[in-house]
Amino acid sequence: MNPLTFTLNQKLEQRIDLSPLTPDQLHGKTIEEIRLIHLEFGKLRIPTGQIFDITGNDSNDIVFSNCSSKSDFIGKNMQSGRISVYGDVGACLGFQMKNGEIFVHGNAGTFAASGMSAGLISINGNAGDFLGAAYFGDRKGMKGGTVIVSGNAGDRVGDQMRRGVILIEGDAGNYCASRMLAGTIGVLGNVGEHIGFSMRRGTVLLFKPPKLHPTINDCGSITLPFLKLLFKSFEPLPTKFAKIKKDRVRKYAGDIANDGKGEILLFND
Amino acid sequence: MLIKLTGGRLYDPAHNIDGKVQDIFIKNGRIVGQPSDGAVVDKQYDIRGKVVMAGAIDMHTHIGGGKVNIARLMLPEDHRSDIVAHNELCRAGCGHAAPSTLTTGYRYAEMGYTSCFEPALLPVNARQSHLEMGDTPIIDKGGYAMLGNDDFFLRMLAAKKDQDAINDYVAWTLHSTQTMGIKVVNPGGISAFKFNQRALDLDELNSYYQVSPRDVLVSLSRAVYELGIPHPLHVHGNNLGVPGNMETTLKTISAAEGYPMHLTHIQFHSYGTEGDRKFSSGAAEIANAINKNKNISADVGQILFGQTVTCSGDNMRQHANAGLGSPHKSVIMDIECDAGCGVVPFKYKDKNFVNALQWAIGLEIFLLVDDPWRIFLTTDHPNGAPFTSYPHLIKLLMDKTFRNEMFAKLNLDAQALSTLNSIEREYTLYEIAIMTRAGAAKLVGLHDRGHLGIGAAADITVYTDNPDRELMFSKPDYVFKDGELVVQNGKVVKVTWGNTHTVKPEFDLNGIEKDLRTYFDKYHTMKLDQFKINQDEISANGRGNVVVHPCEGRREKTI
Repeated sequence: MNPLTFTLNQKLEQRIDLSPLTPDQLHGKTIEEIRLIHLEFGKLRIPTGQIFDITGNDSNDIVFSNCSSKSDFIGKNMQSGRISVYGDVGACLGFQMKNGEIFVHGNAGTFAASGMSAGLISINGNAGDFLGAAYFGDRKGMKGGTVIVSGNAGDRVGDQMRRGVILIEGDAGNYCASRMLAGTIGVLGNVGEHIGFSMRRGTVLLFKPPKLHPTINDCGSITLPFLKLLFKSFEPLPTKFAKIKKDRVRKYAGDIANDGKGEILLFND
Repeated sequence: MLIKLTGGRLYDPAHNIDGKVQDIFIKNGRIVGQPSDGAVVDKQYDIRGKVVMAGAIDMHTHIGGGKVNIARLMLPEDHRSDIVAHNELCRAGCGHAAPSTLTTGYRYAEMGYTSCFEPALLPVNARQSHLEMGDTPIIDKGGYAMLGNDDFFLRMLAAKKDQDAINDYVAWTLHSTQTMGIKVVNPGGISAFKFNQRALDLDELNSYYQVSPRDVLVSLSRAVYELGIPHPLHVHGNNLGVPGNMETTLKTISAAEGYPMHLTHIQFHSYGTEGDRKFSSGAAEIANAINKNKNISADVGQILFGQTVTCSGDNMRQHANAGLGSPHKSVIMDIECDAGCGVVPFKYKDKNFVNALQWAIGLEIFLLVDDPWRIFLTTDHPNGAPFTSYPHLIKLLMDKTFRNEMFAKLNLDAQALSTLNSIEREYTLYEIAIMTRAGAAKLVGLHDRGHLGIGAAADITVYTDNPDRELMFSKPDYVFKDGELVVQNGKVVKVTWGNTHTVKPEFDLNGIEKDLRTYFDKYHTMKLDQFKINQDEISANGRGNVVVHPCEGRREKTI
């Protein structure tokens, strides 16, 4: 069995919606059938075969190669299997993903992991704004699963996030963990302004001192043995967080303007 | 151009025609008699064996105005889950519970509907509503202007102004909003909500104006009758959705004092307080009262399971329901002291006790009211369910086996409290044609629509008879709108623009406008002359005409 490989054969002029190309929807289909699947391309509907060269036969292991930042909704509603992407991806990567794994070797656009409820997304590159955040009109962002970003993430990481883990090895932008309801966000690099803005519950792990706004309250230093267990649980994952063995933090609670049950934990060196 | 529909089986209750095979001739958008022998038929449709009815009329559906727009704004997830691509004829659109204007028109036409009436057109928002309805293609439109909670009217009542002055104000409102009837929502209650009252029963006083809902109903139903407006006062009663509200509804029927009155989405007003959970069906009592009082008509406002959104002027009740909304968000607002607005998304579930019983109560009312000329098929779109579920509802009414199968899936406690599966009645095609065509046309006052008589507007729907009524009614073979073929095999083949129906009763313009002008200058956000909508504003862009219907009261006979 070879991975079912979609190679983009042209430079995309319009945005394309790749939501029909997930392992569960392609299960049992022949390459001929897959070529005829319609995709929304700008304002047109085109068959998949028109822009992708397709090889391989294992629909449980899908590969997009030569991918472009105009390709949106990769892995939308995905239930199982694995998608690997070589190149950049557009908006809404793993949108409302139910399970399975997505590996991106390139950068991701906005709203990656929005509404995701389980599974793993690993981005070997940067992620755009609204990583794991609630999509327009939704009341909850990411609802479960794990997201790993080896580079930087944009603004509003985990906006209205409800559950799950986001691990960022680079920097995060402004309003990280804004309106967060629950879940865990870890950032190894710097974070921008207004971290935890209107945060209700949830945990943010920081390793560089942030600039805090007035309604985040300093609670002093504390040893939390639980943290060692947390990092140990990351061991199977391809992330630097798995190697951390610290449990002494300075704790900040917030946002006091909105319940104030969230915690920002800053690891001392 | 002479069109002939050959050999169809006609269901035309206005002329007591029940399944008679008869040809129909159409000329210049009207149904004409058999032409003389020499006449050349330009186009012939062979519809032998097919079912022919007039175009259906939805006499209560929220398709325009501020609240629908708020629902659209508040529910982007409703849009992205239901996207319709454009094609050569139709423009793109989206939305399941609150579809975009263009999609609304296409979908209605594709179901065989040719006229729809927006029942909650706020006078202060009338222009917006007409603009939206102007963007709704194919179907005819009309609105009922909402009165009864506006400051000006309540001041008049509080000052005990005589009935003539109230009649003038009602007539002036109809003229200036280009509407077809008068609706009252939670009489006095929307206003009372703003004075911190959270419930208002029929004889309770609005704490500020010291008038009761009964006063509002009596004066408005009398005004509508005395002005000769064909459509009776359209009443959304007090205490919507409150267990035990059937008492209020029965009292409301008595408050009509013999004047014609239409009680809308009566399912939401037919609840008792029996059983362990203090929530039960009042359908039998309500149906009995409708059967007895010939001046009363009602539409059901059936709920059907699934995601939808409730849009209502009744901010008092919507405020109470906001916590039950799913997804959990809502908008409750005042609209310029004219009325209110409440939008709460709902997901009705068959395993939920209350929802399941609501479903059964609606169907019980349908089946227990004897006279199909006085009960109408609605889901109060989108409040009970989107209008696209009408074919499903028709199947529930026409197929007892199917109904009982669905009943057996309900919440068990709800099943125990309902008598639905003991009701044997099945609606016939003739009765469906009454409810959705002839009766609705008569109720609204469209005397040249809803039937297939000579001289009627050629709004015609042709179905293939199918024991599965849901399939049958969801995909008509042909739909003609004013003599033009607009839908074939359930798909739009031509986009036209329908008429806007209005009434313009006679009244003393100068007398009432003197008071109104002072009032507008002192309190209102706009000038009186800008408030009034000119007929040309609706017809100027070539999207349909304004049709003015005579105000000669309710007519029993159709042409």
